[in-house]
This record gives sequence, structure tokens and C-alpha cells, in this order.
Amino acid sequence: MRILVVEDEAKVARALREGLEREKYEVVVAPTGEEGFFLVNAEEFDLILLDLMLPGRDGLQVLSTLRKRGLQTPVLILTARDAIEDRVNGLDKGADDYLVKPFAFPELLARVRALLRRGRTEQAPQLKLADLEMDVVTRNAKRRGRYLELTAREFELLEYLLRHKEQVVSREMLARNVWKETARATPLDNVMDVHINRLRRKVDEPFDRKLIHTVRGVGFVLREEE
Amino acid sequence: MRFRPRNVRSRLTLWYVLVLASLLALYAGVASLFLFLSLREDFDQNLLGDVETVEGMLAKEPNGGVSLHSRRPDAPEPRIGHFIEVWSPEGSLLYRSAALRDQTLGGPPGPDEGLHDPAPSTIRLPNGTRVRLASGVYHVEDQRVVLRVAYSEEGLWRELGEFGGVLLLGFPIAVLLAGFGGYALARKALSPIDSMTTQAKKISAERLGDRLSIENPEDEVGKLGTVFNEMLGRLQSAFDQLRRFTADASHELRTPLTAIRSVGEVALQDERSPAEYRDVIGSMLEEVDRLTRLAESLLALSRADAGHVQLQREVIPLVHLAREASSVVEVLAEEKRQQIGIEGDANLVVSVDRLILRQAIVNLLDNAIKYSAPGSGILVRVRSEGDKQVFLEVIDQGPGIPSEHQPHVFDRFYRVDKARTREWGGAGLGLSITRWAVEVHGGDISLESKEDKGSTFRVSLPLAKDSSTSPSKGGSQ
Repeated sequence: MRILVVEDEAKVARALREGLEREKYEVVVAPTGEEGFFLVNAEEFDLILLDLMLPGRDGLQVLSTLRKRGLQTPVLILTARDAIEDRVNGLDKGADDYLVKPFAFPELLARVRALLRRGRTEQAPQLKLADLEMDVVTRNAKRRGRYLELTAREFELLEYLLRHKEQVVSREMLARNVWKETARATPLDNVMDVHINRLRRKVDEPFDRKLIHTVRGVGFVLREEE
Repeated sequence: MRFRPRNVRSRLTLWYVLVLASLLALYAGVASLFLFLSLREDFDQNLLGDVETVEGMLAKEPNGGVSLHSRRPDAPEPRIGHFIEVWSPEGSLLYRSAALRDQTLGGPPGPDEGLHDPAPSTIRLPNGTRVRLASGVYHVEDQRVVLRVAYSEEGLWRELGEFGGVLLLGFPIAVLLAGFGGYALARKALSPIDSMTTQAKKISAERLGDRLSIENPEDEVGKLGTVFNEMLGRLQSAFDQLRRFTADASHELRTPLTAIRSVGEVALQDERSPAEYRDVIGSMLEEVDRLTRLAESLLALSRADAGHVQLQREVIPLVHLAREASSVVEVLAEEKRQQIGIEGDANLVVSVDRLILRQAIVNLLDNAIKYSAPGSGILVRVRSEGDKQVFLEVIDQGPGIPSEHQPHVFDRFYRVDKARTREWGGAGLGLSITRWAVEVHGGDISLESKEDKGSTFRVSLPLAKDSSTSPSKGGSQ
């Protein structure tokens, strides 16, 4: 999978390259709009990460020109501008998704994965990690064959973590996808902590192998111990 | 190009002068007219008297002509400047006074000249002299004659001219005086404005505390000054707020920045294990997280200030929204063994942006949970007030908010307990965001609190018209 990163901020570009390469993507970085435009015309990419505020040529301009030429590659916009109109404008010009800086890296990875597998939905009803099993249809969760008694919110939280097993999930992602809140307000952080603690008590405490891990400063991850 | 004086003073003076000049001209015209009419009246009286006199002096000459001679020898000769003509009705000139020389008072008479009342009229002689003419039909012995007597109007016009001359002489003097007087008056009337201008120039953003001095607050200029001073007051408080906000914001920025910096610098002092590095980086990321959220909140508030928020309104029972909000934070209450009770009528619907208003209620509940003792109760009550307003009250049994803090709890970055709140991760923006969320829906939020008696936050919102929901009562939880 080849990803083109059009980003003028050198530090951010480097972090994006390293982070994405670690996930086994091939990354090409273009520091200006013109260069990005040239590369898209010259080479094939599976995904474009496009910064909006670029020197020389505005990201939106680049995008709308590319779309007018019939480019199908999915485009994920990265920007520090966060007005609804900007967002709508970006999506109107042909962007597939929109991420506001500063974004959490796990969030970026999740969006990238989602865009790359677009069309191929994998909503398996059976989820599994080590001896933890969940059935989304019957809404049952089992660990080592024993049923876990979970509240609705705990079930949704565990399901989300399990669907993203072995990937770090940020608090923003949980706020949006589990609590359906657009903004992550302070009270919600405390709420999340309480829920994660309760989930730990039910899923991990009775067992010696812990599955729920906190990645300090980043978020949470469900995985077998490294 | 129109002439337009630059300042009000000159414009006012110009107006005075113009108005006075036209009034004077009108006055002079009317006075002259009346003078003229009265002079001519006298003139005509004299003329008619003289016609009588001349008639008596007419005598028939043997040659068929007519001559003038006095029957009384002491009678004066007709005045020089008397123009006299005597015509026969057939149109032959019988007599012409010497003063006329070869001029004529209008040629042969018409058939009915002099038959009616002898009203004098003005005619012009062929040499241009304007004369006043009266005529009449008389009999000299047995002959019918038409007698014409005329005076030159010269004297009349001269008198009028002298009168006009006097007026004209006074005119510029009066106008000049009016100009000076008007200018002085305008200057006096406008002098408070001048002094206000001078003072206002000295008031800058750094000296907003200054006020204009007002001599008489009741007059027009005084009222203007008062309004201006009130505006300065509002500006000053806005500036103060902004200044405080900037200071607070930079403090809030500095705290996590300091943490990031010192954690990073300390970590670099020694060689550490990967796990320790991870811990350090994680700790730094936590602070970054705090900064990110601060930036997001500030952005949300600044967007709110700029009015850039589009509400996605839907009509929902307020009590449902309260339940949704409560379900988000109830785990926090559970951790403190607190009970959240919700009561209210599901018929009370509001038209609101669900997410925005729910966030507001979440913030209020979170506040109540935070500041109430473990095991205490929190009540959310939805009730209507009249048929226009609906109240949502969040009532806690916490320690209450001291009255000196109450006016400020909705201010940005304001914290009742400076030391305590940070452990909760808040930046003191929760309640100001809540207030904004309520106000953007046309509502209002207020606080009622007594120390040791708990606090009540009351949100009032306009009741929505649509109450299509079922009339079931919302019980308490």
C-alpha cells in the first residue's frame, strides 16, 4: 500500500512517515502542493494525506484540480482549521475524510485503515482475542468459556477495543464511537476511566493474563501481553 | 462645486446670515411697497385736486381754442411740472401746457375717456418720463372738452429711492452684526463639544478609565457625553475581561508547557531504560492532551463568540435530554455512591441542538458530582414556568458556592477553588461553555447557592410549541 503525504511541516511529515512505515505502508512525502500534484500525476498511490495550508498552492485547490481530472484515490485531509464550513468545504471538494490537527496518531491509523479497506466491510459478528470471545448478535462476552456480566456501555466499549485489537485506541475515538459525542469534554475522560476500570475488573482481574492495557498519554489497547 | 464650510460653527453662522438677510430683504420690500402706495395715494389726491383747480381756470378763446387763466388774480400759476392737455372730443388739441413742450399725454382721447371716475394712471411720455395722469370731461361754456392733467412721478421715485438708500446702508451692517453674533453664539453652544473632543482624543486603550467631564448632564451635549461615558464603561469592562482572559489563558498554557519541558529535560539528564522513556513520553503526551483540549475549548468558545455555530435543532422532551446526560456521567456518581434523581414532565419539549445542550447538562451534572460529598443526592428537575419557559434545575447538596464567587462562576477560567480543580483536569471552561450552550438556544442560566446549603443551577429555555409526545409522566429514576 502506497501513501502520499503532502505536508510542509518537516517534523510532522517525518513523524507521519515513520509512524506509517512502522505499519508497513510505503510512504512518499511531498513538502509542497506543486510537488504533491506532480507526484500524483506521475505515480500510483492508494491514499493521499493532504495538508490544507501549504505554501504556494492551497491544499483544497490541489484537491479540486485532481478530482476534476478524475482521480479516484481516497484523500484524507489534515488541517488545523476546524470550522464546520471548512470541513464541509473540504468534503465538497472531494475529500473522503477530515482530521483536525493536532490529531492522535492511533486515530490517524484507524482512518487510514478505514479508507484503504473502503467497500470491504468486515463486520464479523464473532470477535476473538486469545481466550476472550464476543458475539455481537447475541451480545455475549466470554473469557475462558465463562460469561462476563457487562452493562450495555461496557459491552460497546469492549467490542470497540476488540474490533481494534492490537491497535491503540485514543480517547477521541472512544468518545466519538462509543459515547457518540462530537467533542471530548473533560467529564467524559473521567467517565472513560471509570468504565475502563470496571471493564478491567470484569475482564482481566480474575485472570492472570491481562488483555486491557493503558498506553500512557495515548489511549488504550486490547492485546495479549508483549 | 457647492460651497460647504467644514465645521458646524461656520455652517450655523452661514445659515444665520442667510436667514437674516432674506428676512431683511423681505422686510425692506414690504416696507417700500407700503411707502410707495401711501406716497402715490397722496400724489393722486393732489393730482385730482389740481384737476378741479385747472378745470376752473379753463377759458374759451375766441379762436375756438382754450386757455388757462386765473379768475382770481392772486391765484398761483399752475406749478411747473404740471402737464396739461385739453382736447375736444373730436380729437383736436385745444391746449397744451408749456412744460410739455412737444410731448403728448397720449394723443387724441378715446370715446369714453374721462367719463368714469377720474382714477389716475401711470403712463410714459415719448421722452421716457413717467407721469401720473388724471383726466376728466368738462364743459367750457358750451363746449365739451377732455382735460388731462399729469405730474411727473420723479419726486415720488426719488423719495422712495432715498428710503431704499437708507435701508440698503443698514443692510450690510445688520448682516455683518448677525454674522458675528451668530458665530459667537455657535461657538459658545459648541464649546462643550470641543472640550469633549479634546478629552476624547486623550482616551486610549491604556487609559480607558478616563471619562469626559460633563457640565450639564441634562442638555443635548451633556446627554451625548453621558452616553459616550457609558460606552467607555462597557469598553473598559470588555477590555478588562479580555485582559484577564488572556492572562488566564497564558497561565493555562504555561502550566502544561512547564510540565512537558521539565519532564523532558529531567529525563534527558541520565541514561534510562526503554520502559522509563516510555513513561516519560507518556507523561509528556498527557500534557499535550491537556493543551489540545484547551485549544479545542477555546476554539469552541471563540467560534461561539463569533456566532459561527449552526444549531441542528430538533424538538425533544427536556427530561429525555437530562436522562441522556445523566447516563453519561452516572458512573461517576456511582463511584461516589451518589444518587442522581430525575423528575419532570415529558410534555415539556424544547427545540435544541441535542449534542450541544446535552454537553451543557453533562457539565452541570459533572460539577454537582465533583463538589458533592460521597453518598449525597443530586436532583435534576424539569418544570415549566407559564407556557413559554421551561426550567431545568440541577440541585446538589454540596458545600455551596460562597457569594463572592457566585457572579464569576460562568467566567472563563474562573475557579472557585484554585488549587483543587486542576486534579480533575478542568481548565475552568466548563461552566462558560455551558452558559454559551444555553444562551445560544435563547435561554438563560443562573445560580442559586448558599454556603453549606448546596447549589442550584437553573437553566431556563423557551418551551417549544410542538408537544406531540405522549402525555406520560416522567418519573424519577
